[in-house]
Amino acid sequence: MSALYVYGVGQSSKCADVSARGVAGGDVRTVEHKGLAALVSPVEGGALAAAREVRSHWRVLEEACDGATVLPVRFGTVMEDEQAVRDLLLEPNAERLDHALRELEGRVQLTVRGDYNEEQLMRDIVSGSQAVAKLRERIRTLPDEAGYYERIRLGELVAGEVGHRRAADTRLAIEMLEPVATALREEELRQPDAAFNLACLVDRERQDAFGREVRKLADRLGDRIELRYVGPLPPYSFADIDLDTEAAAWA
Amino acid sequence: MAIATGPRGGYLERPRPSGLADVIDVILDKGLVIDAYVRVSLVGIELLTIDARIVIASVDTYLRFAEAVNRLDIAHDDTTHDLPELFESMTSGGAESKAKGAIEGVKEKLTGDDDDDNGGSSGQRSRSSSRNRSASSSSGSRSRSSSSGRRSGSSSSGSRSRKKSS
Repeated sequence: MSALYVYGVGQSSKCADVSARGVAGGDVRTVEHKGLAALVSPVEGGALAAAREVRSHWRVLEEACDGATVLPVRFGTVMEDEQAVRDLLLEPNAERLDHALRELEGRVQLTVRGDYNEEQLMRDIVSGSQAVAKLRERIRTLPDEAGYYERIRLGELVAGEVGHRRAADTRLAIEMLEPVATALREEELRQPDAAFNLACLVDRERQDAFGREVRKLADRLGDRIELRYVGPLPPYSFADIDLDTEAAAWA
Repeated sequence: MAIATGPRGGYLERPRPSGLADVIDVILDKGLVIDAYVRVSLVGIELLTIDARIVIASVDTYLRFAEAVNRLDIAHDDTTHDLPELFESMTSGGAESKAKGAIEGVKEKLTGDDDDDNGGSSGQRSRSSSRNRSASSSSGSRSRSSSSGRRSGSSSSGSRSRKKSS
């Protein structure tokens, strides 16, 4: 059975053709309704190998968002056919999608992630916390087996210190970047040495100003934190809308 | 510290284009969610998504380890000697399980490098392995409840929104 993989939704007047191959090698086309265009490509039923297809999903959206505003749809979304895309996605959500598109118009997502220099972070913690320094000294004199609970306690103290530093560094980053962003979200931290992970929605023409602030932030943070500044991305974090559960609230 | 980390270069004022490893989490966790009732269920896609995260995230982890190992040539004093160990023991839960997942993953996957990504995640292709299948059958087919469970999971992830009134 053939179905349609859905990548995102844009305004039909602005969506250019996408040349990138879609999921499972399919041709990407649009399904249009009420001025909206859903980017889709045909897939055959059955399991898709997600580790591979996530790449196609990403490429199609990168290209589609290059010149236009497109709301990315969550990876792995498949609908039955064109009729279903019109009747179940575009028609009932037309107003909300249109509203979201207008809000994101001319804006891009820029991600600013800070990762601690692990070694330096640990040094700072040892030199900044007497409790950590003392316990560490004591553990160094114990054989491995004997120090088990002490080591857990030490790790706990260190984790607490990491948490304090994270909170302070996140606050600093937000204070500096928020004035040049339209919206800002704190994303989940997945690495143990992550300091912060901010998704920022920025006007295309303010990207340079934003970049200068990122630079200033990097200078403030010094060698303690390595910044990763990535983008422009499709506005994944700002198109994070659940059309299912929020439908009632919207109506 | 003598190690020059990233932000010193002049490139930082321009964001760098995304590699897949940079965006894997937003791709998998963010974006429009379409009503579970109207989505066609593709067998296994939910679980293969987890698979994708492991494969791609572990490439990232490998790169970090490689970087960390390369840094080791720098002169140590005796404190530097055991500090990384300390950190590692504190965090090894995450890193180790990720790395382990990837090693298993490599065994079970065909690694086809059919294209390049600047994020360093080389083309990995996955086959649905028996591990995935058994996991898939035990958790049942894709259903409304499983999808809402995922949703509540992601909403509890604590991504807070700040929005200025425009």
